[in-house]
Amino acid sequence: MNNKTKSDEKNGSSQIGSVLSRAFQSNAEWPDKEEFLDVIYWSRQIIGIIVGIVWGLVPIKGFMGLVLFMLVNAAIIYIYYSNFQNIDEEDYGGAWELTKEGFMTSFAGFLVTWIIIYSGLHYD
Amino acid sequence: MWADTLLIVFISICTALLGEGLTWLLVYRTEKYQKLKNEVEKQSKKLEKRKEAHGESLDKQHKKKIEREEERLKNNNKDLSFVKMKSMFAIGFAFTALLSMFNSIFDGRVVAKLPFMPISWIQGLSHRNLSGEDYSECSFIFLYILCTMSIRQNIQKMLGFAPSRAASKQGNSLFGPGPGQFK
Repeated sequence: MNNKTKSDEKNGSSQIGSVLSRAFQSNAEWPDKEEFLDVIYWSRQIIGIIVGIVWGLVPIKGFMGLVLFMLVNAAIIYIYYSNFQNIDEEDYGGAWELTKEGFMTSFAGFLVTWIIIYSGLHYD
Repeated sequence: MWADTLLIVFISICTALLGEGLTWLLVYRTEKYQKLKNEVEKQSKKLEKRKEAHGESLDKQHKKKIEREEERLKNNNKDLSFVKMKSMFAIGFAFTALLSMFNSIFDGRVVAKLPFMPISWIQGLSHRNLSGEDYSECSFIFLYILCTMSIRQNIQKMLGFAPSRAASKQGNSLFGPGPGQFK
């Protein structure tokens, strides 16, 4: 186990490259579930920030913005894993596990960017 | 408002890095922590695999084995949180002092305008130390908490300090059944 983690660290950057290329490749193989969950986690964070910027620029206001974010976030991830990667969600403990992976962090990131862009652009 | 909000983001990045740095110094780099962490991770994965392999058709012998391993994992988890706890207290104190300093700097200042109306039990936080009835005005503490929530966890994840999924899944079951167990 120790040796494995050490060699894992050494190959860290090449591993990230391989994970990234598989993330953009349809129907890729994911022998290590953790890697796929990491891809879901980080794409969630990026979606959160992008949606936050867009909502702030438009600007979308009120409760609607929060609901729309949750819908967009869940829908993109759902389409990604079920239509693009075609993985079996049961392998990952069901759709719920994939839906909540990194959700809170992405929600916080979304709120921060939404609030900053909105108040910076529209209330100075 | 840009200046204030960006300053808060910067402050929370700094405090998150400082917190992780201190925890690394006091906890993560110690041999005891690393040994325990590896152990917990190994056991969690093994336990999960075993549970998956046998599913619901558990005979008595397997059940006993799993229970014994769960017990061992529980003890290791307890040791792990004890190792963490001491430094967490020290860091907690340092951060309370820092936070109260920032609080007094931003006292009564509207740092941002919220694009939504927060629900009543959050208003106490988002409108803390602000005068007036406009609850869409945002106080320092609310934005700081949101920033920390997203930045700290992402930094932990990037640096590889976040607990592994298998371990946190098994760890949750100590306090109550995780969602996976309802299947």
